[in-house]
Amino acid sequence: MVAKRMDVQKAAQDLRMRTLATLPRTLDRFIYLASTRDYNTGMYYHDGLSARFSPEAACEALADCHREAFHRLVAMPMEQLVNEMEAYIASQSYPRDFISVWKGLQPYRVAIPVKADPFSAELLFSNFRVALAIVEERLLPPHHSKQAA
Amino acid sequence: MISLALFVLLGLALLVLLYLFARRGDSGVEGGAAALVDARQALTCLQTGLLPAELVDRVFNEDDWRFVRSKSGKRVQELFLRERRRIALSWVGQVRRQVLGLKQFHSGQARAYARLDIRTELALALSFASLLALCRVLEAVFYLHGPYAAPRVVGTAILVAGKVCIVSEQSLAFLEPGGAGEIPRQSPGGASAA
Repeated sequence: MVAKRMDVQKAAQDLRMRTLATLPRTLDRFIYLASTRDYNTGMYYHDGLSARFSPEAACEALADCHREAFHRLVAMPMEQLVNEMEAYIASQSYPRDFISVWKGLQPYRVAIPVKADPFSAELLFSNFRVALAIVEERLLPPHHSKQAA
Repeated sequence: MISLALFVLLGLALLVLLYLFARRGDSGVEGGAAALVDARQALTCLQTGLLPAELVDRVFNEDDWRFVRSKSGKRVQELFLRERRRIALSWVGQVRRQVLGLKQFHSGQARAYARLDIRTELALALSFASLLALCRVLEAVFYLHGPYAAPRVVGTAILVAGKVCIVSEQSLAFLEPGGAGEIPRQSPGGASAA
């Protein structure tokens, strides 16, 4: 049991040093880590990490880092969240479509860890909605954002 | 003849009492286990989901509002205040529900597991009463004046909730492996195996 946990910690450290080091923003990490999870099973997959450690250790390490990113986002001041969201949207090919989809489909709702605390999730969703509205206001002229709403 | 009727009545009354006590004992065991599980969940929910300082700070710290007020238009400001008020109301509602759960545990089952002295029990009862009243006050204030109207009351509620959690933690300590108040396990012969 202890050896298994040590393996997970090593895998998580490896993940932070390699893959996550290329993603400096917490929001980017959060979205990336959520995307490594199978929506049907809730299991996380990462080929490189599984090859270096084991599929189980990789899954646990990804889940740990995902929870960590989630908690950081929940505790993040609104100003920082807006900056991260603005930078994330700017890195996308179609910022206007992005805002429209995030407002409509709210894909961030399925990006939270499986056993996330319900109140923390509720707070994060609320903060996402406000941050998105602020970014939208900055990127799009007022009459356009009214049409999109 | 009258004395015979009295004895029969007395016997029937005793039988009824015996039946009632037997039923109470049965439901007590099942209800006790359920109450312990509910109390443990309520305590965990309070300690990890509702009372952590960084979470409460995020909800009630006015820095977010200052930022939104200075950097966005009226529409977004209104959205922010609406959202934050909803979150604050949700927070205080959930705190109240979990505290009620703990109160039910303490007023029903805790006495059987945790030997609290009378002073602690009285202080705890007072804490529960004041905390539930504070939650009601906060609900009214958040609803009428928004999430930033009563920072001191929020602080007091968190302080009292923290104290209630500490006493509840001690009362439920026997559930943890090697807990201080662990119930000694009985062997089939009745001797303590712990």
